[in-house]
Amino acid sequence: MTEKLVRKTGPRHRNARIVTDFLLPLVATGFGLIVIFPLLWSFMASFFPIGDFTTWPPRLVPSRIEWDNYARAIKESMLLRFMANSLATAAGGTAIRMTVAILAAFAAAFLSFKGRDFLFIVILSTMLIPSDALLIENYLTIQRFGLLDTWFGIVSIYLLAPTQIFMLRQVFKTIPHEFREAAAIDGCGDIRFLTRIVLPMARPVALALTLQSFTSIWNAYLWPLLVTNTARMRTVQVGITMLGFSESLDFGPTFAAISLVTAPVVIAFMALRKKIVEGVAASGLVG
Amino acid sequence: MNHATKCIARICLTGCIALAAMWSLFAGGSKESAIKNGPTEIIWWHSNSGLLGQATDTLVQEFNETVGAERNIKVVPVFQGKAADVLTKLRAVMQSKNPADLPDIAQLDATGIIDVRSYERMIPMEALMSEAGYDLSQLEPGAALSVTYKDTMIGMPFNSSTILLYYNKDAFRQAGLDPDRPPKTIEQMAEYAKALIVRNAQGKIERYGFAGVPTSYELCAWIGQQHGVSYLTDMRNGHDGDPTKVVFDEDGTMEVFLTEWKKLWDSGGLANLTSSVTQEFAAGKVAMIAASTSNLTTLLASIGDRFELGVAYLPMVVEGADSGVNVGGGALFAFDRGLQGHKEAVEAFIEFAVSAEQQLAWHVGTGYFPVNLGTYELEEFKAHTERNPLFQVAIDQLHDSDPRVQGVWIPSGYQVYYAFQNGIRDMLENNKSIPQTVQDLATEINKYISDYNRMNR
Amino acid sequence: MQSTPHRTIVTRHRRLSRIAPYLYFLPALALAVTFSLWPFFKTVVNSLSIVNLSGRIVEFVGLDNFRELSASGNFRDSLRNTFRFTAMFVPANILACLGAALLCYRKRRGTAFNELLFLLPMAVALSSAALIFKAMFNPTIGIVNWILGIDVDWFNDPAMAMFTLVALGVWLDIGLDFVLLLAALRNVPTQLVEAAAMEGANAWRKFFSIQLPMISPTLLFVVCTNVKDAMLISAPVMILTEGGPYRSTQTLVYQMYLEGFKSGNYTLGSTIGVVVFLLSVVMLLLLFRFEKRGVYYA
Repeated sequence: MTEKLVRKTGPRHRNARIVTDFLLPLVATGFGLIVIFPLLWSFMASFFPIGDFTTWPPRLVPSRIEWDNYARAIKESMLLRFMANSLATAAGGTAIRMTVAILAAFAAAFLSFKGRDFLFIVILSTMLIPSDALLIENYLTIQRFGLLDTWFGIVSIYLLAPTQIFMLRQVFKTIPHEFREAAAIDGCGDIRFLTRIVLPMARPVALALTLQSFTSIWNAYLWPLLVTNTARMRTVQVGITMLGFSESLDFGPTFAAISLVTAPVVIAFMALRKKIVEGVAASGLVG
Repeated sequence: MNHATKCIARICLTGCIALAAMWSLFAGGSKESAIKNGPTEIIWWHSNSGLLGQATDTLVQEFNETVGAERNIKVVPVFQGKAADVLTKLRAVMQSKNPADLPDIAQLDATGIIDVRSYERMIPMEALMSEAGYDLSQLEPGAALSVTYKDTMIGMPFNSSTILLYYNKDAFRQAGLDPDRPPKTIEQMAEYAKALIVRNAQGKIERYGFAGVPTSYELCAWIGQQHGVSYLTDMRNGHDGDPTKVVFDEDGTMEVFLTEWKKLWDSGGLANLTSSVTQEFAAGKVAMIAASTSNLTTLLASIGDRFELGVAYLPMVVEGADSGVNVGGGALFAFDRGLQGHKEAVEAFIEFAVSAEQQLAWHVGTGYFPVNLGTYELEEFKAHTERNPLFQVAIDQLHDSDPRVQGVWIPSGYQVYYAFQNGIRDMLENNKSIPQTVQDLATEINKYISDYNRMNR
Repeated sequence: MQSTPHRTIVTRHRRLSRIAPYLYFLPALALAVTFSLWPFFKTVVNSLSIVNLSGRIVEFVGLDNFRELSASGNFRDSLRNTFRFTAMFVPANILACLGAALLCYRKRRGTAFNELLFLLPMAVALSSAALIFKAMFNPTIGIVNWILGIDVDWFNDPAMAMFTLVALGVWLDIGLDFVLLLAALRNVPTQLVEAAAMEGANAWRKFFSIQLPMISPTLLFVVCTNVKDAMLISAPVMILTEGGPYRSTQTLVYQMYLEGFKSGNYTLGSTIGVVVFLLSVVMLLLLFRFEKRGVYYA
């Protein structure tokens, strides 16, 4: 039965359609604009000269464009270096994290060996332990290994993702046994089987998890704050809060920095909106 | 590309990235490079941002281009966040076995003293500077005492400040008060606060007389200036050794303070603000605040020409308690990284940073007062204070104070800070009796002290 | 079904394939032990002893630390604030995200634009968002106060500061949760909904009897992650309110950071850490219980 067949006519249903076709989207846009307001305002405010922040009533639009805010944001901070650090740690960390997860999930789903289930539970049990509770000890560990102020130190606690391992295993298990047996007969080793058959079949989920990993490492704040001592190594999240422009009421350069950091991601989201929405739907997290 | 190739490419890419990530193990560190003939790099962890940060960079640049160039020394300033963040990093590094991770110099405030004062790799400034023949008597005595532990000056006062009363001269005029006669005692301040209240048409207060909740920072002065000199804790506020208890309850000093403070509350013109206090003042919503001299330049910039700024001595807690205020702010501490030639380099930079000329530049750029007595003799200094009489007030207050009034070195500094704030606010807004408040404060803070002593026998 | 000439190859494979699985597990296991199990063990041991400023254990005191903690007004504040935040944040977030998803799941003109609007907060990093909110709620700049036409001193009024955190929390989570719920709603088979409409069901019935049960697995997932994030919240507190005013927004993990890192009191920090762990486990178990009874799997 398609939607068309069931479509009703008549005034009552036409009113209902007006609601669903026009009113609801309109209301949604209204709420959406409220949601977006902080972003819009901060972008406007990145051009405010200092006087604009203390006028009453507050301004929504700059009195004049203060380009100096952007100049100061770049000059007086190591913004580019921060972004490089964030990019390196997020990309490198995601790569290692996915590799670790895929290998473990593969072994758990396809191979049988003594102690497999026990070891798997050991890995999964870490899901219960929130890493926030272990900040102090992990910090001391990193320090003891001399990994403070290194990219590896920053990503270290994010490399193990028990939920992702679990989800990958679930997806791997949906691959029928016949594939494995056929591959074995053809002399295909484990790695080849993994890369040529399993991964392509699990691609949507793997991609969704990759995106999720990247975002969570990119967004991390407390841990990178703790393990970086020098400005050179700070990630963008930490660095932005240390810009110190807001000692006075001069928020302009801070917003300029925020705009610079957020703009690329916002543009990416605008371009990839459809892919994101559909990717999440296909990821198996849903329904 | 077919699926298989894509996957292989992906694995290769993964491998490369992983490899790069591992490699960054070594590339990302801040270890000192082994360049033999390069300049001796002195790493300085500081907490100066905004205008203060600019002054810091200027100072370092001056050094690197003059003395530094001559003696092949390069100072590298690293902003670490607020003083608390510098301490957090330092503490972590102190625990590691690798002294090269330490900075050569760290700028710390009173909260950090407890951690570094017994640290074996901390080089006491008195020893470091006297070895090089530096005459310590050219420093402000109050400032020098503020970093003296068990009779040794362990740090070098650098960004020294005192607390000041900032007030809105235009508001004074509007309220019929003489803008050149700021309040002299807390009781007077209460009267002024009442006159300064401005209400809007609905009766809601639009401008308060005074805003702020006193905490360890203000209390060091308001308790310390009583009976000649008093202290918050025993062991002379921790300068003679680990405090074992508070004494503001036994000495009756806290009770005196709270009684006066209650008068301010009863005037109706007190706002219990704990955040954005200087911003509210700059916006004209509060007529008087007590803040550090280090806020002077930033406040002047924020106020612009909205109103005329006045600066005065901190009002005395009661008539006759005229021992003044304590020196606060931060100091520089030197650490032994186990590297050749660094001790001499650090000494050279410290000498430069607290020289009469540099302290003048620092003072002009930040509002911190000069720690070198020689600065006061310089012509440029006298000219500057004539043009900017506001800066002179802090200096006068310092010279009129008893140098024995000191800041407090107490464990769990943050919790103590909040304890005072919460306790005082509780008393005011929930009508708690003064003796009860004193007792509760004493109990809470004594617990922090005893916990610390138990843990660190 | 190997034929004889392959035997040697097979034997070599077999030997390799006996250790290989363990090798696949190895990185995950090594990480689990180093960064999760071992630190957890140490934290528990620390919580049962007194630890000095250098991190070394001074003496073993059993459950004394926990006893002291439960008597500490400071800790009780953290606990109460954390629960208060969770109780305010989770419903607010679900309302916002589910509401937005319900407004957008039908694909009409303008839906793509609306989706983008609700999606964009995901593009903004936590600290950036926190700084923006900090400025927006600032009384001097006062943009929020002016728009809402009120005069609330958000960061100085202990009763109101929590709202800024909740607002920030919802804004941070709305992107992802919206997309999840949107996808879930779109996965509900249209036949079911139309069938209900034919039988005269209005919008409310449609929602509660059809859509809600069908999206319940995803909804549970969202609620679970929201609760977990709320109990563990720390970064927004650090940037936005620093636990104030008067500790009214001091949460568990924030206090742990204050005691452990800022005050060097590792004893107290570890003790709170263990409490955080226990609370997480309890919450998780409660939610699994609810799953058995409340969630419908197609």
